[in-house]
Amino acid sequence: MVVRVTTGRAILAATLGLGLAAAVQAADNPDIGPLPQLDIDKAKAELGKRLFFDKRLSGDAAISCADCHVPAKGYASEKALSPGYPGNGHFRNASSLVNVAHRKVWNWDGRIGTNLNDMTREMLTEDYIMNMDMRVMQERVKQDPVYVKMFKDAGYGEPSNGSVRKAIPEYLKTLTSKGSAFDAGKMSDSAKKGKDIFEGKAGCFQCHNGPLLSDGQPHNTGVPENFDVFMDPMNHQAFIAFTMFQGIPNYMNLKRDPGYYNITLMNEDMGKFITPSLRELKYSSPYMHNGMIATLADVVEFYNNGGGKDSNKSDKLKPLGLNDQEKKDLIAFLEALSGDELSGSEYVWDQPFPAKYEAIENWTQVRN
Amino acid sequence: MSVNKITPTLVAAAVATVLAAGIAQAANDKSAAGTAKAAPPALAPLGEAPIPPDNKTTPEKVELGKMLFFDPRVGGDASTGCSTCHEPDQGWAWAEDFSRGYPGTVHWRNSQSIINSAYFPRQFWAGSASSNEKQAKAAAKGGVAGNGEDDIMEARMAVIPEYRKRFKDVFGTEWPLIDDVWLAISAFERTMNTTGEYEVPLDKYLKGDKSVLDEQQVRGMELFNGKAGCINCHNGSLTTDLDYHNIGIPPNKRWEEDGLAQVTFRFEQYAKGQTEEGYRSAKSDWGFYYRSKNKWDRGKFRTAPLRYIEYTAPYMHNGVFYTLEEVVDFYNAGGFDEEGRTTLFPENKSKLIKPLGLSDEEKEDLVAFLGTFSGPEITMEKPKQPPYAPLFTKAELEAAQEAK
Repeated sequence: MVVRVTTGRAILAATLGLGLAAAVQAADNPDIGPLPQLDIDKAKAELGKRLFFDKRLSGDAAISCADCHVPAKGYASEKALSPGYPGNGHFRNASSLVNVAHRKVWNWDGRIGTNLNDMTREMLTEDYIMNMDMRVMQERVKQDPVYVKMFKDAGYGEPSNGSVRKAIPEYLKTLTSKGSAFDAGKMSDSAKKGKDIFEGKAGCFQCHNGPLLSDGQPHNTGVPENFDVFMDPMNHQAFIAFTMFQGIPNYMNLKRDPGYYNITLMNEDMGKFITPSLRELKYSSPYMHNGMIATLADVVEFYNNGGGKDSNKSDKLKPLGLNDQEKKDLIAFLEALSGDELSGSEYVWDQPFPAKYEAIENWTQVRN
Repeated sequence: MSVNKITPTLVAAAVATVLAAGIAQAANDKSAAGTAKAAPPALAPLGEAPIPPDNKTTPEKVELGKMLFFDPRVGGDASTGCSTCHEPDQGWAWAEDFSRGYPGTVHWRNSQSIINSAYFPRQFWAGSASSNEKQAKAAAKGGVAGNGEDDIMEARMAVIPEYRKRFKDVFGTEWPLIDDVWLAISAFERTMNTTGEYEVPLDKYLKGDKSVLDEQQVRGMELFNGKAGCINCHNGSLTTDLDYHNIGIPPNKRWEEDGLAQVTFRFEQYAKGQTEEGYRSAKSDWGFYYRSKNKWDRGKFRTAPLRYIEYTAPYMHNGVFYTLEEVVDFYNAGGFDEEGRTTLFPENKSKLIKPLGLSDEEKEDLVAFLGTFSGPEITMEKPKQPPYAPLFTKAELEAAQEAK
């Protein structure tokens, strides 16, 4: 898509002149619009919800998915760098999971492009994330009578690794935006003006397009490195473990996040990250792959300056020359892309978990 | 007989690990034991610990290995290292029936002491590791043990400056490598033996100092070598024939009462490659079966060495006996505990295990003799954990940022 848009722009620019190019190019991008409805199996999603909030799904039973994907923070990490697994830190900001089921590619570097089942496995088993031996996980789940019933009711039969990896994605489908002023057609005048700027003068629409406001493609915008990745040995060890496992050359001396380079090992992809969705930004600060930008005003300022410094930076980024009113309007539009907080028992498992594993009665006589 | 079937494989596998010295001893013991009806090799003093040629001992390597042995960062969440389950004050083992496990788990077997582990060509209760190096790695990575992954453990070593320096000095690598962690830990473990000042009374006796054992202990030794038949398996200089036997140990009742232990029990069936039917039906530890997959090996475990046992209670692969008196009662009853419980695989029970008819006095004599297998307690001050420190300076990071 990136290539197609660029080519289209070149031809149009030549024939129609630069003045018209931006508008036509905008028309070439998928429309921003409401997200499609997803069919959700309620029993499976309910099971997935309990699993998502269950600390027993990490190796040492100390953290759940929700420790990095915090519901009140748009299911993203409130810290610039996610906490990571106990005993280490992390090197990126956990993305919002709202609308995660609508994505086609996952992780900031886009290393999962298949489905949420694979993504769930990745998060559960990576040593610096949840470090879960899924065989231990299966037997923990089987030891809880509540799960035994829920798996059965969901049509999965006996609890298993495979069904855990199906149930959590089913729950994630429920985390879909609702009630945003943009989707409801109830944007303020300022936000409406902001939308025009977004699609026109500011050029955001070049990458932030479609219902998710993301082209799902990698770009280098020159976000500065978060030095805490390297200055804090807890974070750095996670970064080293990750780059070592991914097979990044010279990983011990790396002083920057390679991003999409991880996938291609092409120098031109160094420092590219997948365009994030712009929905639910109200909740999911701080921003960028490493949480380096704290507020939406700062993000707008960053782009108004033409992004950061990087020889690999996308040529789509140039100083925008937005005035204060235009910046305000643009922020108003971005805020109009956030909907209702996905809170309450519909989204959050708020019942207590058992403090211990109950013994299976008559153990010697029943089959395992 | 299964012993004859297994021996060539064992020797071949062990030779492949180049533990030449240990093997020579094991093979000698074994050929003697393997000869039908031949007298088992007599108890003999412990010799020098064999050092494998591919992991030579140096003082620097031992010192590094000692630091790593006590460092909980050699594990999943930096809380569980070797010494977590091989605690010096608990016989370099763990003084509960099941070893403690990784946080959120419990183990399913008794933690074995590392004392004298250097002498054994294979490690673990069913001999699944063919060297100390492989044992250390398996324990650090096991889901209910250390639960560490290579990547994160190796990465941690890199951000600990003292380890960078020491690994470079010892192994010559620019960065610490995880496989060298197991080499260093093993080099340390090979120094932890009941030799020198820690020599056990029995070894002094066997070397000729007859004054070391009192009359009761001598009577106990005669029972050990004769009426009680212990010598059939606990023999030679290692006090073990290094072979696998089902002696009738009953399942640990904790599996009936403890949900966490039940979780681990099923995990082990799963992780050890059980068949579906085996996973569903197992109600005890099948031991050597998990390696051989022969049904006649169900419930077999390697004969445990006897030195240092004063400090390593409880006993047996699942820690069901907390005192040596209980152990002797168990054997005296022909492999039944005080409630009459025994292995779930009685068809595999060793023919050597039968009621012994020991009197109370004889049992006391035997326990007194077992006391001569332990000398002074081996203690050690735990080394300080070297701290983490950043690899790069802020100036280096700023320069890299500028060069982007």
